[in-house]
Amino acid sequence: MYRLPEALLAIGLAGVALSAVAEQTRYDIGRTASSEEIAGWDIDVRPDGKGLPPGQGSVMDGERLYEARCASCHGSFGEGVGRWPVLSGGFDTLTYERPTKTVGSYWPYASTLWDYVHRAMPFTAPRSLSVDETYAVSAYVLYLNDIVDDDFVLTQDNLADIEMPNRDGFFEDNRPDSPNTRCMQGCADPDELQMVGTIGGITPVGHFKQGADAPAASHEGQKALEEAKERERLKELGVEVEEQEERADDTLSEAALAGREVYQSACIACHGSGLAGAPKVGDREAWAPRLEKGMETLERHALEGFTGSKGVMPPKGGRVDLPDEQILHAVAFMTEKSQ
Amino acid sequence: MSRIIRPQTTDELLKRLAQESEGLSGNDRRDFLRKGVTAAAGITAAAFAGRSLAEESGGSTSNLPPHEPSWSRQLGHGVVEHPYGSPSAFEKDVVRRTVPWLTAESISSISMTPLAELKGIITPNGLVFERYHAGVPIIDPDQHRLILHGLVERPLIFTMDDLMRYPSVSEIRFLECPANGGMEWKGAQMEALQFTHGMLSCCEWTGVPLRVLLEDAGVKPEGKWILAEGADGAHMSRSIPIEKALDDTLVVYAQNGERLRPEQGYPLRLFNPGWEGNTSIKWLRRIEVGDQPWYHREETSKYTDLLANGKARKFSFVQEANSVITNPCPENPIRHSGFIEIEGLAWSGRGRIKQVDVSFDGGVNWVPAKLKGMVLPKALTRFSLEAKWHGQPWLLQARAIDETGYVQPTLKQLREARGTNSIYHKNSIHTWKVAANGEVTNVQIT
Repeated sequence: MYRLPEALLAIGLAGVALSAVAEQTRYDIGRTASSEEIAGWDIDVRPDGKGLPPGQGSVMDGERLYEARCASCHGSFGEGVGRWPVLSGGFDTLTYERPTKTVGSYWPYASTLWDYVHRAMPFTAPRSLSVDETYAVSAYVLYLNDIVDDDFVLTQDNLADIEMPNRDGFFEDNRPDSPNTRCMQGCADPDELQMVGTIGGITPVGHFKQGADAPAASHEGQKALEEAKERERLKELGVEVEEQEERADDTLSEAALAGREVYQSACIACHGSGLAGAPKVGDREAWAPRLEKGMETLERHALEGFTGSKGVMPPKGGRVDLPDEQILHAVAFMTEKSQ
Repeated sequence: MSRIIRPQTTDELLKRLAQESEGLSGNDRRDFLRKGVTAAAGITAAAFAGRSLAEESGGSTSNLPPHEPSWSRQLGHGVVEHPYGSPSAFEKDVVRRTVPWLTAESISSISMTPLAELKGIITPNGLVFERYHAGVPIIDPDQHRLILHGLVERPLIFTMDDLMRYPSVSEIRFLECPANGGMEWKGAQMEALQFTHGMLSCCEWTGVPLRVLLEDAGVKPEGKWILAEGADGAHMSRSIPIEKALDDTLVVYAQNGERLRPEQGYPLRLFNPGWEGNTSIKWLRRIEVGDQPWYHREETSKYTDLLANGKARKFSFVQEANSVITNPCPENPIRHSGFIEIEGLAWSGRGRIKQVDVSFDGGVNWVPAKLKGMVLPKALTRFSLEAKWHGQPWLLQARAIDETGYVQPTLKQLREARGTNSIYHKNSIHTWKVAANGEVTNVQIT
């Protein structure tokens, strides 16, 4: 009878020992994450409500928060300002030539709304809303879409029960759905083919088409282009236009220079574009009346927030995590660049 | 959105273009570019006209033979003048660009790779297209962590140093935004290759297979999906089936030999070869294993493909086979009569490119092109076809076929299947119209 040599048996045993180590951890790299570490980062929520923290928020509370924190981009009724996302309406438009895809008309689950607001909104200050505030803002957006009534209170327990209008509007990937074949000769009837050309003037082509009347190839470039065009237009109308040359960096104060980075990370979304009635950096006309009120007032408004006739400045522009000093540096940068 | 130039068949068009270059003798037709005879009007016509010796060299002949060029009579700068080198100042126009009206501002936006200027299949790191939802976070790698938890035997937390201790793999794979070409569903809109196809890049990515990390953590049998999440302000998140995660998904920390660029997720990103770029979460901080998908914003509100019947395809991960001709193209008009190498790129999220065919007449007849250089799965693949051009009108198309036998569809086929509101996954055959003066424009043929 054949017997396994002892050496082979020993290798077999060693193999068992090795695989036991592998079962424990193959490389033994990294360490076990503590439940506390995980809890701090585990922010996701799913349609069945798993992941929702205890809390609640009413449509009424949401309205106030929405006006202060969301309306500057999404509009008071969720209609969207400029190219910012439309949040409400659009029901039954999904088959239209130009559908309006909103929370109400398109999103399949209410949990997505809560998760996204909690994870990424407001745009300029992500993760700045409390759990209850997130419930309230979500409730209000649902209300804007006629999905809940004005006395509704959204909670950890009722969110998963909300039925979104388009919950059955999605299907699993079933591609390939548009099969072609490898034909080599006479693959189409030339008389049947239709050709459509490109719409002109909307592509940035200035880098390879000299003299083309085209948009710029960056947001900053486009802003400069539009400002130059506006000055040209005014000049042609005989309006006296002051050449607005941006103030050079070497003339800025130390505080202003220190504020550039803060501006770029915290302020530019509104003060670079004029969103929410924000005075744009470099726009002397817009800043002049504000500067007249004195730097002290301007700084107070920046720190504490301000609602004026032209727009809303949230406290610290929504970045309440930043120390006062950094905000004041950013104010110095913006005002000096705009004088 | 598109303006119908004039309802005309390609046959009519080819005839009309042929007539425009009529009246030129054979020799003239061959040489008409050099002589500055432009057969059709167009604002760029002058650019293709005959160029004098001085024009060829930028206005001066003093550096041309028989003269000794100025740079040959002096010293240049020494070593480490530029500790990290950059391209020649003469290449300053080879840059990423965006179409500003596409997005409200630049922080949640996209830029495109200048495909017309690139050679081979690798995209230089500084030219890889950008897509941010909350701008580029500045992350100290020493303070960055990846947490792997959920339905696992042992939740793990890794430092960058930990992750780089694992045996690494390097793979050349394309990265494409599923919205690439998405501006052209309803009609031709973009007058440049950079904007029709530039949400596309290809790099050598280095990192650890996610499978290895998942094996170390021990996925429980009920674990069917993972959620990947970024450390940026958007906390970008996507649900990914466990089959993909255990197949070829990578946790990446380097591209093209150096650590990831901040724009590409420094210090750590996920990379799902062949899948829509959005799933390759940048600034990766967390992977959770679960028993069902999360249906987050980027897989419901966005990155779902709305069809004409009002229903939307979800979890449409794979980037199907696609191709485009990069020479000629609007940025690379034909400047010389005679020999031309028709070149382009083809790619498939399902594997290798098997074949690319080229049509000169808008898809009526096709000839096979040659694949050149490396032909890798889920990577850009360069194709080439040598041709002669003497001012004849062309309606140039490329058609990719991948190793699964999938043949890139026509625009008509894609529209018939999906309508025009899908935004994502528009991979139809693309057409460049070459005019008699060598100018190349974007047109659509259906």
